[in-house]
Amino acid sequence: MSEETDLNVPEPTQSIPGLGVSNNQGLLQWISSVDHKQIGIMYLWLSLLFLVIGGIEIMLVRTQLAVPNNDFLGPEAYNQLFTMHGTTMIFFVLTPAIFGFATYFVPLMIGANDMAFPRLNALSFWMTFFGGFLLYFSFLAGGAPDAGWFNYAPLNQYNYSSSPGINYYCSGLLLSGIGTVTASVNFIVTILKYRVNDMGLKQMPLFVWMILINSFLVLAAFPSLNAALVMVLLDRQLHAHFFNAVGGGSAILWQHLFWLFGHPEVYILILPIFGIFSEIFPVFSRKPIFGYGFVVGSGIAIALLAFGVWVHHMFATGLGNTVNNFFAASSLLIGVPTGVKIFNWLATMWGGSIKFSVAMLFGIAFLVEFTIGGLSGVSFAIVPIDWQLTDTYYVVAHLHYVFIGGSLFGLLSGLFYWFPKMSGRVLDERSGRWFFWLFVVGFNTTFLVQHALGAMGMARRVYTYPDLPGWGILNFISTAGGFLMAIAVGLLIYILVRAVRSGSKAENDPWDANTLEWTTTSPPNLKNFEQVIPVKSTRPFRDYKRPDDADWNRKEEYGK
Amino acid sequence: MVNTSLILHWHLDVSTLLLAAIFIAFFYSVTRFKRQRNNKLFAGVIILLLLLLSSPLHYLAMHAYFSAHMIIHVILLLICGPLLTLSLAGTDHPLLNRLSRFFNKNIWCAWITGVGIMWIWHIPALFDMAMANHGSFAPVFPLLQSGSLLLAGVVFSWPLLGPEEKLHTHALSGIVYLFTACVSCSLLGLLITFAPQGTYHYYHMGGSGYNPWNISHIEDSEAAGLIMWVPCCFVYLSGCLWLLYRWFISGSGVKLNNVR
Repeated sequence: MSEETDLNVPEPTQSIPGLGVSNNQGLLQWISSVDHKQIGIMYLWLSLLFLVIGGIEIMLVRTQLAVPNNDFLGPEAYNQLFTMHGTTMIFFVLTPAIFGFATYFVPLMIGANDMAFPRLNALSFWMTFFGGFLLYFSFLAGGAPDAGWFNYAPLNQYNYSSSPGINYYCSGLLLSGIGTVTASVNFIVTILKYRVNDMGLKQMPLFVWMILINSFLVLAAFPSLNAALVMVLLDRQLHAHFFNAVGGGSAILWQHLFWLFGHPEVYILILPIFGIFSEIFPVFSRKPIFGYGFVVGSGIAIALLAFGVWVHHMFATGLGNTVNNFFAASSLLIGVPTGVKIFNWLATMWGGSIKFSVAMLFGIAFLVEFTIGGLSGVSFAIVPIDWQLTDTYYVVAHLHYVFIGGSLFGLLSGLFYWFPKMSGRVLDERSGRWFFWLFVVGFNTTFLVQHALGAMGMARRVYTYPDLPGWGILNFISTAGGFLMAIAVGLLIYILVRAVRSGSKAENDPWDANTLEWTTTSPPNLKNFEQVIPVKSTRPFRDYKRPDDADWNRKEEYGK
Repeated sequence: MVNTSLILHWHLDVSTLLLAAIFIAFFYSVTRFKRQRNNKLFAGVIILLLLLLSSPLHYLAMHAYFSAHMIIHVILLLICGPLLTLSLAGTDHPLLNRLSRFFNKNIWCAWITGVGIMWIWHIPALFDMAMANHGSFAPVFPLLQSGSLLLAGVVFSWPLLGPEEKLHTHALSGIVYLFTACVSCSLLGLLITFAPQGTYHYYHMGGSGYNPWNISHIEDSEAAGLIMWVPCCFVYLSGCLWLLYRWFISGSGVKLNNVR
């Protein structure tokens, strides 16, 4: 090796340094890391950073909307802020957080010492990282994207958005999209090839199952987005006409390509959450999951159905009654497998010895909030209701009940559940409860009233609104709720920082949990496992701790 | 309003009888009618086939609506075909055994046959040629079309339902097998749904000029594409869930080549 040309990449000489950078190689150890745990933690920090940025953006938007006819923000700034908020939260908060947990815990849960392709793993993270920063560079380069998170044609065309923002939207999402695809390839190979010998697919933790299904979903859905982004770039930079109707292109084509990705994307952001809850409900109910096979089966059904319903996002585009009727019927079906899962979790809790930890509180709140979001979603499958409510605040309320009440609650639940394992520190449960209640109350205050605003006809994506009866007060309540959520997020950051700095030490298995990640130290050493315990059921660690009451020793299977 | 005389349009033509005769002859040659259960299932499929191809639905398909034509295709490909394969369950015959071994090793051949035949018949020129020929005394193309779709259904379902259960493909591979076929089916459905008017010339020109329900050509061709796109996918999806169920109730845990 020639010393002049090769970089000396520092190899860690100590175990993984918790969550900080105070180790013998400082920040460089994190930047050069190919260890799945460090990469997972970096995904989560990245997600938190963008949560704060996306949160600040939406607080500006909500301030603008606090009173009628407000001029705190102009329409241009407003368009940029709501676009960046949506894009950030979906692509750079929820996605990296899910991938962070998956990168950290999939190998640990299947008894592997790392991902199948550690360098590809690092590449995936850094693609996401630079994708996010490239998107934000647009603010310095002449204006952020301003055509909404789904970037509809013809608004994404040069004539309607001449600032370079949309170019940055395309490049940033393309980069992070490639990162997402490579990460998914890595998950599939890791899960199929690197499970500990004893672990058949029927013994696999449900979080791992959902990540496996999700990874296939990513592989099928993201190429459509990536191709469409390239097509927009070609339209804008080389005067192609893919989406330009005047030049023979089709604006509707963008919607098809986007929603062919976009609807599965909704499930990409919720299936892993179903996996997280399928780990948390059994642990805090002291029961095995009810209907393991049904959780897996409904997950697969959701993934398959995801590709047969995207047109319901386009009911208002004038595709005609024939098309609308078919997709109305198929969209109603989506509620079935999701409903099955809700009953799986309820039945898991039924008769259990429930421990109301913060993780479990978020689980229970999720059941309520996500059901509200699901029901408002099913209402959109009814075409006349969709026509009435599309592009109103009812849609905004619905999608936030799904993304926050579903995805974010799941991630927060996962954070409180797995933080001791990742950091070796315990998150303070008392402050955590304060955070939970502030966040849940703030969330419902913000978004419940938006159902009413939408039904009253308030259009989304308009920078201000007239002083119609009820609109002012409902919007003010919504903004007040938003600030409550912001305070809650501030409290969360305080809880996290305090735990990292001076939290009490976590035991290896603080929750008396079921799966393999809890058998190793907290935080795990660089090499996750020296030896892995036998896996004969879906709760191998519990079997190990209670051999007389082991799941595999019972007559019934799967969660009785 | 439904034309009341439509339900009287039953036409059993020579090609349909010939098709049924070919299948009966083949079934007899490999099974000798030995298994009661198989015979009953097979008889059911043949009756369904005869009813389908002589029914008013078939009359509508031939004379009026692309969408009716598509329903016939779906029933032939996704219901009659797999049921025919099932009617051979457990049959021990050298030809069937060879086929089972072949499709077990070359599952892609079954996939290509099933999906490929479906695509080929929807190439507009071929489609129009088949339809133009249907009124003749010896309608070769309609016979070929129905026969090949039925055969495609049999071949496609062989790796999942073939006579030799040991040579069935693994349930989870089967899910990928069905899902990819579903995607291909969606793509074809999508192309037909959004195809420019006149792509399928025969129906665009008004078929035989018969239009009992006053459905416009554009609505008809959209419905045809959508039948291939949406309900077809639910058939595949149901197949996936059935495979998953079968896998879960099977005895031992399945391992996919663990190396660690």
